[in-house]
Amino acid sequence: MNSLFTPALALWQGGVLDNMKQGIAHPDLSKFLIIGALLFSIGVAGVLTRRNIIVIFMSIELILNAANLNFIAFSRYLQETGGVNAVAGQVFTVFIIVVAAAEAAIGLGLVIALYRNRETIFVDKINLLKW
Amino acid sequence: MVLSGWESVFFWVFALAALVAGLLTVMARNAVHSALFLISALVSVAALFVLLGAEFIAGVQILVYVGGVMVLFLFVIMLVNVGAEEREQEMLFNHTGQVTAAVCFVALLVLGLFYAINQSAGRFVPSGENEQAVSQRDADAARLHNAATGVSKISEDTQRVGASLYRYGALPFEIASVLLLVAIVGSVLLARTSKQELAAADVDPRVIPELSAAGELNPAEIEAAARAHAAEV
Repeated sequence: MNSLFTPALALWQGGVLDNMKQGIAHPDLSKFLIIGALLFSIGVAGVLTRRNIIVIFMSIELILNAANLNFIAFSRYLQETGGVNAVAGQVFTVFIIVVAAAEAAIGLGLVIALYRNRETIFVDKINLLKW
Repeated sequence: MVLSGWESVFFWVFALAALVAGLLTVMARNAVHSALFLISALVSVAALFVLLGAEFIAGVQILVYVGGVMVLFLFVIMLVNVGAEEREQEMLFNHTGQVTAAVCFVALLVLGLFYAINQSAGRFVPSGENEQAVSQRDADAARLHNAATGVSKISEDTQRVGASLYRYGALPFEIASVLLLVAIVGSVLLARTSKQELAAADVDPRVIPELSAAGELNPAEIEAAARAHAAEV
């Protein structure tokens, strides 16, 4: 019994809890990256599971935002560690937002054209290339 | 880059808000609720941008995403019929097998990303390690003007982003403007009905027989369009 708990006890005494407390009280770059990764995964799950094409578009916006969050976090990190052209991440984010706006306009135009032809917005009913 | 004090409190509040709102975006039955949850997720991410010192990007995010893109989404939700999903006549998600596979894939993705981030987390240079960069930043901060309240300083962030945008990103900037133009023209063209297509004075006469063959218009409308076109020419 003792030997079963020894590794856990060692981990406990090794300051895992203190590390965790430190991480929660002082979030650093990796916390932003983890939030970005989780947002990205939620977006991927939305794209893969939903049937409503509009919600799929919204999930894509979520994915793009997760990428933006990573860019901005790395930009701040480079500003503090003396990177070359540290605001490049912010500039790239502006371009991502532009592309996302263009994508939303075109995509929603496609949704309207599709709805006019097929009377549906469910992607599993849009399964014919020609009808 | 280490946040502390109230900054870290706000970080956790907004990070959790973004994650919960993102999850609810994917889970919500009503598409309008989805859009509203997405708006709150975007606003939370904008707040995280402010915490990261990117005030300009946060403003752009609110203006473009929440003010522009999400309004467009809400308009399209109004134009198409999403009521069947809401009234539980239609399934919300794909078939169970597909959903299971997708969730497994996403779980693997999360595990992989966590593993990669944890591996690299120790190797990031901690803030304050590069003394030259820190002294440069302090010198820059000392030159800044006080904001109106006197509590904080007016940052030069926007100015630097703008300078960088025009210095290093001038060509992509121009390409982005062309992209937006193409998007405008494309979306107008895509959303046009065949009646509107015929009503345009510059319509190609070859379109008219095509449309009548497709049976989308009644003969009177085609006749009227052909006459209007002849008068125009």
